Amino acid sequence: MKRPWFWLALLAYPRAFRRRFGAEMYDDFRRRPLGASETMRTLATLALNGLAERWSAVVRWSWFSTSTPHLYEPSGRHHMFFDTLRADVRHTLRLAVKTPVFTTLTILALALGIGATTAIFAVTNGVLLRSLPYRDDARLVNVWSNNTAENRPRNPISPANFLDFQKMNTTLEGLEGYFSIVTPTQLTTDSGTEVVFELFVTSNLFNMLGRSAALGRTFAAGEQAQVVVLSDGYWRRRFGADPGIVGRSLNLYGTAFQVIGVMPRDFVFPYPGMLGPSGFTRVTGIDIWMPIAFSGPMAAMSRMLTTSGEIVRTAHWWGAIGRVKPGVSVEQVEADMKRIAAQLEQAYPDSNKGWSATVVRSIDQSVGAIRPALMILLAGIAFVLIMASVNVANLLLARSIAREKELATRAALGARRSRIARQLLTESLLLALAAGVVGLLVMWWTLTALIAFAPADIPRINEVTIDWRVLLAASFTTILTGLLVGVLPAMSSATVNPHASLQDASRGSIGSGLRRRTRAALVIAEVALAVAITTGAVLLLRSFLSVTNVDPGFVTTGVLTWQMNLPQHLTNTDDRLAFYRDFFARMEALPGVVSVGGTTRVPLGSTSVSTSLQRESVPLPTAELPEVQFRRAMHNYFQAMGIPIRRGRGFEPTDVRTAPPVAVINETMARKLFATQDPIGQHIRIGSALTGPWTTIVGVIGDVRHGGLEEEPQPEMYINYLQGPPVSPFIVMRTAGDPALMAETVRAEMRRIDKNIPLFDVRTMSTLRSEAVSTRRFILLIVAAFGVLSLGLAAIGVYGVMSLIVSERTREVGVRLALGAKPSQLLAMIVRQAATLGAIGVAIGLLVALPLALLIHGQLYGIESLDPATFVSVPAVLLLISTLAALMPARKAMRIDPVEALRLE
Amino acid sequence: MDRFKPEAFLPLTPVAFEILLALADGERHGYSILQEVELRSAGTVSLHAGTLYRALARLLESELIEELNDAPDRKNDDERRRYYRLTTIGIAVAKAEATRLEGLLVAARSRRLLKGVRT
Repeated sequence: MKRPWFWLALLAYPRAFRRRFGAEMYDDFRRRPLGASETMRTLATLALNGLAERWSAVVRWSWFSTSTPHLYEPSGRHHMFFDTLRADVRHTLRLAVKTPVFTTLTILALALGIGATTAIFAVTNGVLLRSLPYRDDARLVNVWSNNTAENRPRNPISPANFLDFQKMNTTLEGLEGYFSIVTPTQLTTDSGTEVVFELFVTSNLFNMLGRSAALGRTFAAGEQAQVVVLSDGYWRRRFGADPGIVGRSLNLYGTAFQVIGVMPRDFVFPYPGMLGPSGFTRVTGIDIWMPIAFSGPMAAMSRMLTTSGEIVRTAHWWGAIGRVKPGVSVEQVEADMKRIAAQLEQAYPDSNKGWSATVVRSIDQSVGAIRPALMILLAGIAFVLIMASVNVANLLLARSIAREKELATRAALGARRSRIARQLLTESLLLALAAGVVGLLVMWWTLTALIAFAPADIPRINEVTIDWRVLLAASFTTILTGLLVGVLPAMSSATVNPHASLQDASRGSIGSGLRRRTRAALVIAEVALAVAITTGAVLLLRSFLSVTNVDPGFVTTGVLTWQMNLPQHLTNTDDRLAFYRDFFARMEALPGVVSVGGTTRVPLGSTSVSTSLQRESVPLPTAELPEVQFRRAMHNYFQAMGIPIRRGRGFEPTDVRTAPPVAVINETMARKLFATQDPIGQHIRIGSALTGPWTTIVGVIGDVRHGGLEEEPQPEMYINYLQGPPVSPFIVMRTAGDPALMAETVRAEMRRIDKNIPLFDVRTMSTLRSEAVSTRRFILLIVAAFGVLSLGLAAIGVYGVMSLIVSERTREVGVRLALGAKPSQLLAMIVRQAATLGAIGVAIGLLVALPLALLIHGQLYGIESLDPATFVSVPAVLLLISTLAALMPARKAMRIDPVEALRLE
Repeated sequence: MDRFKPEAFLPLTPVAFEILLALADGERHGYSILQEVELRSAGTVSLHAGTLYRALARLLESELIEELNDAPDRKNDDERRRYYRLTTIGIAVAKAEATRLEGLLVAARSRRLLKGVRT
């Protein structure tokens, strides 16, 4: 009964050990009176000891191989296995040193393939496969309202509806709510006021997610007191990871909120995908969480209550996340929610007509949008890896043919086929192993680059790390590659007929017609792939260059910009103007400042706002009024930004409220709205009201790219801030030196002016400009990496196949040379063959590249999809590469000694 | 040939020393070594089969013990039984190890870590 288990456990031991002691050990085992659980434990310990014995045998074999202990004496199979391995490893290393170019190329090709594949896998793993930082995240779902009338299936929920969903559902263990918007809030401290980004959540949210605080506690169920929980990042950044933070008070909304806890470092809530479509800020990282209050002043402040004191049902700004009961499917939850929504529709037709419900898995809600792109990327890179492996297999095959004599000698001396195959497999596995190690480096670099260049809107990209799954995938890929690469040469060499091979150098047993055609097809496919991808990469690169060379209409270097809110006590226009007068005077007085100005919408760094416009000279009905972008210019805005004044004048300090209202427009507006007239002196009125003063256009400025570098300028008008001061302007400051270095000086001066004015989004214009192209840069980076990989693969592929052909045709070349062919003719012959393959590949590649170029049309800028320069240069380069790659084998063919090649005839 | 130095084997692993002790008063087979060790240590040292035979293998390899070609009494034993005994090297090493341990004990006593001061 126990006997088979015992022998199974004994299998852990080396064979020699088993043979020597097995019977004795069983005898002992049999004699011991053991219970069932004890038996299992004993057997487990036995097996572990066996593995330890195996390991120490390997160690002793490796270090003290000359004094092999007699238990594992040379006659034993144990010794044989490792002895063979050692011999094969040595042989491989000798061979590797003798053929450095071949070895380096092979390892490099595989390392690139393995490294790139695992890097992309690491991204997929971190973004898609790793669980969200919540307990049992597979059971979490997001619940949305479904606005069936306007086809918005993931519309935020209204608070009253949320409470009904929470009460009435039968399929969820818990449903918690949060504001689907991040709220920038002012935090007042002794040293001034700053902005914190907060999220309102229902008090039980953390419990439902199954996460507790790293420090202190999270909200108790039903807690609506004035308490906050900090995020780890904010706690470290703002409070220097002070462990005494719990219990301290933060002054928010003019009252004290007590810090009750700090969340762990890995905790994220919500993911950007869980937020609603609109918001106050582009920031999605949370500094603090605050419990939602359903009554009291905080409830009123967050507009939770109607005028009659009920919870709001008409306004939708909540998100909801719930935990599905065990054994219930997401579809059942959705059916449940739809049932509740239908009941609510009946009960509250005024507010709920046309509102259903949608349920989405939280993982899909967080990262679902990026899944297809990542999957395509993963498939693409795996394809590249397979290409690389087949390439290397070809190289190895070429070499094994060149080594046929060596292998035949081995066979003649008594090596069995399995022995030769094993040697070749060992070689390829060793190559793959080396490639795997180099590949880890490649993966590391690739990952670092990917994360560094990833635009901020890729969710969870900062959660990407190298964990055990990535390492497992890397080892698996390495071993699989080694086998894939080694099987073909091992199999074909194992069929070597020593007699034939040694007697004459007959060919044909290996390079059968089918195989030759397969290899040709491979080279053609590789070249075609390289043409297609490289064409795409070059198009994207040229687009990127044209985008970065776009003149945004202002000078981006040497400018610092930030946004600020005026203190709330400055309620009237005169106070605000007085503040600005003082503010601009003091900012201009700072050392190193060239000029200062401001606006309501900073280019490349903010949203835009437009207004309808009436022209005195062109009366139109209200519905047909043109829309123009509307901004205010403050102080020396045009000068600080380096926006040129084309005609007329800019704003003057004399354009005050008592003076006639004036406006400055951009060239596009002058062209589109005053095509035939001189815009200067024209009268316009903002908005559609039929009364009110006319504003006179006094100047035309150059066009500025507001929304992005690629966006065409739109009609745009400015009014002077002295005739209507804004409350949360963007300030721009042109500096003599590095603008980033001015940030601290500015902050210090602001604290002296009024410590309760928070500055935020403090950035340089150069940063804004660089961020404006970050997505484009990322796509370019990935496609370019693919392009380089495919180029390398094509080169190695041609090289490998041509080497193979030259090896196979050694005898034929010998005959030709003997018959008087000139070496140069041979060179031409080989190169011509490579060029033919290359040309076919290029032709097919062009056919693939054409639709591909049209497909990425939306990503192109400043060039045509069928850019002639690209479509000529890329194929030319590929042809050149495939020709060059054939040169080395061709030179080898030239050097063939006819006497040597024909000696065995 | 090198002069034999028993110190080269020191210190022995506890299991190895236990085995040498068990074999000090005569040859034994594997299971008997197990029993003897457990008996002597009153159950405080419990040898596992895996540990015992791995230690036996090392001792055999370094020739501190050897296997008897024929068992002393075959009356009630089956063929599987193999008997082990100390070699002269084994005896020397066991003595050296005992001396080493005694030195340690003396040192421990002189620092009052053990009762019964002898210095």
